[in-house]
Amino acid sequence: MVRATTTPGPRRGAPGRRAGRLVAWVVTAGSALLVVAPVAVIAVSILDPTPSLWADLWRTRLPGMIADTLTLLVTVVVGAAVLGTSLAWLVTAHDFPGRRLIGWLLVVPLTVPGYVAGFVWLDTASAVIGPRGARSIWLCAAVLIVTLYPYVYLFARAAFRAQGADLRDEARVLGLSRVAAFARVALPAARPAIAAGGALVTMEVLTDVGTVRLFNVSTVADGVLRVWFGTGSRQAAAELATTLVATALALVVIERILRRGARYSRRASGRPMTPVRLTGVRALAATAGPSVVVAVAAGVPLVRLGAWGVEARRAGATATVAGGVWHHLGATLAVAGLAVAVCLGVGSGLVLFARRHGALGRVMVRASALGYAMPGPVVAVGAVIVLAALDRTDLVPGPVVLVGSLVGLVFALGVRFLAVAVNGIESGLDQMPASAVASARTLGARPIRIAWSVELPSVRPALVAAAALLTIDVVKELPITLLLRPFGFDTLAVWVWQATSESLWAQAAVPSLAMIAVGSAAVGALLVALERGAEVVS
Amino acid sequence: MRKVHFPPSRLVFSAIVALSGGLVASCGTGSGANPEQVTVYTGRHYGIEAVFDEFTEDTGIEVRFTTGSDPELRERLVAEGANTPADVVITADAANIELAASAGLLAALDSDTLRGAIPEELRSEKNEWFALSRRLRVIMHSTERVSEPPRSYADLGGSAWSKRLCLRPSTHPYTQSLVASLILNQGAEKAESIVEGWVANEPLYINSDTDILKAIAAGDCDVAITNTYYLARLLDEDPATPVAISWPEQPTTGAHLNVSTGAVLASAPNPGGARRLLEWLATKGQKTFSDANFEYPADPSVAPADLIVGFGEHTADLAAVRQLGRLNQDAVALLSRVGHE
Repeated sequence: MVRATTTPGPRRGAPGRRAGRLVAWVVTAGSALLVVAPVAVIAVSILDPTPSLWADLWRTRLPGMIADTLTLLVTVVVGAAVLGTSLAWLVTAHDFPGRRLIGWLLVVPLTVPGYVAGFVWLDTASAVIGPRGARSIWLCAAVLIVTLYPYVYLFARAAFRAQGADLRDEARVLGLSRVAAFARVALPAARPAIAAGGALVTMEVLTDVGTVRLFNVSTVADGVLRVWFGTGSRQAAAELATTLVATALALVVIERILRRGARYSRRASGRPMTPVRLTGVRALAATAGPSVVVAVAAGVPLVRLGAWGVEARRAGATATVAGGVWHHLGATLAVAGLAVAVCLGVGSGLVLFARRHGALGRVMVRASALGYAMPGPVVAVGAVIVLAALDRTDLVPGPVVLVGSLVGLVFALGVRFLAVAVNGIESGLDQMPASAVASARTLGARPIRIAWSVELPSVRPALVAAAALLTIDVVKELPITLLLRPFGFDTLAVWVWQATSESLWAQAAVPSLAMIAVGSAAVGALLVALERGAEVVS
Repeated sequence: MRKVHFPPSRLVFSAIVALSGGLVASCGTGSGANPEQVTVYTGRHYGIEAVFDEFTEDTGIEVRFTTGSDPELRERLVAEGANTPADVVITADAANIELAASAGLLAALDSDTLRGAIPEELRSEKNEWFALSRRLRVIMHSTERVSEPPRSYADLGGSAWSKRLCLRPSTHPYTQSLVASLILNQGAEKAESIVEGWVANEPLYINSDTDILKAIAAGDCDVAITNTYYLARLLDEDPATPVAISWPEQPTTGAHLNVSTGAVLASAPNPGGARRLLEWLATKGQKTFSDANFEYPADPSVAPADLIVGFGEHTADLAAVRQLGRLNQDAVALLSRVGHE
C-alpha cells in the first residue's frame, strides 16, 4: 500500500501547535514558580532588612560565624578536591591489584550521612584525645572531607575516562613526563568536572547543620537556626539565610568567570585509556592508599555502628513505636522513590523547556535550583509557609491538607534537591551532539517529539546517575523530613534523630546501617550507569 | 519484520508520570473532627508513646502524634495557622509554649480539673498552657573528685572550676531558660557577670545532658549544669555512677525550674478530645507521664518516683516559670554578648 510520499512540513503558528506551546509554557512556568516559592518567601525578607539585628550580630557572633564558615569551606572543598581528583586519576590511569573493587568502594562513603559519621568519629576521637580535643573544627572538616570527596571523585573519574588515551599519549609524545602529562594536560582538561563536584561539596558544607553542631562549630547555617529559634524571628533568620544563597551564587559565578575563554574540546576518537600497570612497591601503595581512605570514611563507621547494633539488639531496642527496621525502610524507600521521580520529571521538563527558550528558560532553571543552597530547615519552613497558604485557598479542595501530607513532604524535598536532577540532565544533554536535535528539527519533528524520541533516550545514563545521587541525598535528608512527614511516616533518618537527640547512640546504629545499605545499592546503580554512559559518550 | 524499540528511558519517564499522578491522589486529608482521635505535636518524645497508649486504653480516644524540636514545631504551627491538624501541643520547656501563646496559637481553657491539679505558678495567666511535669536544672558534680561542690550558679564562675566545668551550648532552650531565670532573680547586670564567670572558666560545651554526665563520670569534667532526670536515668542503669546533685540557690530563690507543658490549640479540629487528653495528663496520667522520664509531677500531691525521692528535699524556683518566655530573647542576647558557645 502506498501512502502519501511527502509529508507536509508543519507550519508555524498552526492552531494545534500554538495550544501545545501554551500548555508547555503554563506547565513549566507553573512548576518553576511553585519550586521557587518556598525560597522566595524566605529571600524577599532581605528587601526589608532589620538593621538592629545586623548591628547585634556584628558585635557578637557574626565574625566568628564567618570565620568558621570560611575555614570549614576552604578546608573541605580543597581537601575533597585534592583527594577526589587524585583518587580518580589513580583508578582511571593506573592498574593495580583490587582496582575495580576499590573504584567502587571509593564511592561508598557518600552514603554515610555526615551526622552519622560525625557522631561515630566524635565518640571514637573522644576516647583517644578527650572530648575537648575532639570537638574541633579540624576534626569536623576531616569528617566532611571523607564523606563528601566522592562527589569530586565521581565527576573527575568520568572526565578522565572521557578524555580517553589520545590526550595523554599526545602529551607524552610531546615529551612530557607522566606527572607533567597529568598536571598540564589531563588535570586542566578535567577542570569543569572537578569544579562541578566542588560546587556540590560547597553547597553541602554551606548548608550543613547536622554535622557542625556536633563539633561546636558555629557556621552561618547554624547561625540561621540560632537566630530563628533563639529569637523566634523568621525575618531575621531569613536575612541571614539569604546571605548563604548569595555566597553560593557568587562562588558559582566566580568559577565561571575564571573559566571563561578556556575551551576544552576533545575529539571523539573512542580509544579508551590503557591504564599504566603498576608493579612492586608502587602497586602496593596504589592499593593501600585508597584502602586507607575507604577504611577511615566507611570502615570505621561501619564497624562501630555494627558493634552498637549488636548492643542495641541485646538491649531489645531494635524497633521504634512506629515499627521495626522494615517499616522505616519502607517509609524511606517510598519517600525516596516519589521524590526522585518528581525531581527527574520536573527537572527534565524544565531543562528541555529551557533549551528551547533562551535566556528566560535559563533563568527559570537557575532559580529552581536555589533550594540546594539553603539549609534544610529553612527550606522546610519555606515549604510549610507555601503549602499552608495553598491550603487556605480554593485551589486545594476542602478536606485535603497539604501540610503534613506525603505530597507536601515530596514537594519540599523537590525544592531542596531539584538542582541535582537539573545538573545531571543538563550535563547529559551537553554531551549529546547538537546535530541530532538539528536533524530531527529539519525532518519536521515537533519539540515534544524531539524531547521524547531524541533527547530523553540519549540522556538515559545521566538520568540514572541523577536518580542515584538523588536517592542518596533524600535517604540522608533529615530536617525537612522531620518537620513535614505525615503522621506515623517515620523514615530511617527520623529514627536516627529520635535516638541521637536523646544521646542513645547505640539505638541509632540499626537505622544508620540500613541507610548506608540503601545508599550503597544506589551507588551500584550509579556506577553501572556511568560505565554505560562512558561507552555512549566516548 | 521490524522490531519495535522502546527506549528504557521512556519507560522510566512514563513511570515517573504515573507515580506523580498516584502521589497527588495520595494527598493527605485532615483529621477533621473525628471525636475518637486526638492529634498531638510533641517536643517531648522520651517514653511518650506509653503514656498515650494508657490514655487510649482508658478513654477509647486514639492519639496520633508527630515528634520534633519545640521551636520547629512552633514554626510549623505558626505557618499552618487556622488549618492546623493539631489539637494539642506538648513542649519540653516553658519558653517555647509562652512564645506560642503570645503568637495567639493557643486556646484558653476554663477547666476546674486543670486548675485544681496544676498550681497557679505552673500555668499561664490566661490558662492557655499547663505544666505537666517539673524539670529541675541543677549543679552536678563528681563524687570522686569534688568534696565541696558549688552551692549556687554563680559559684560555677569561681576560679576553682577553671577548665573543670561542662555546659550545654546556648542553642538549647534549657540553657536559655536558665539564663532567663538568672536575669529575673539577679537582675540583668548580675546575670551577665555570672555567665561571664562560666565562660571565663573555659567550659567544655557538650550538646547533650546525658553526655555531660558521662563526661563527669569519665573524668573529663568535674562540675556541670544538667537536668536531674538525666542523672536518674543513668543511676537507673548503673547505681554506682559517680555523679551527685548539689541543689543550688537553697533556700533562697531555689533551683531553676523548667516545665514540660501541654496546651490546646486555638484551631484544634477536636477541641473536646484535646481537652480530655490534657485533663487526663494532669490527673490520672500524671504519675505515668512523670515517672516515664523520672521527672517531678506538676501536681504536688502526686508522689515522685522512688529513685528521685532519693535526690532529697529542695526548694524549686516556681515564681520564674511564667516569665521564662518573656525573658527568652534577653537571655539569648546575653549569651551571645558574653560569647557563651
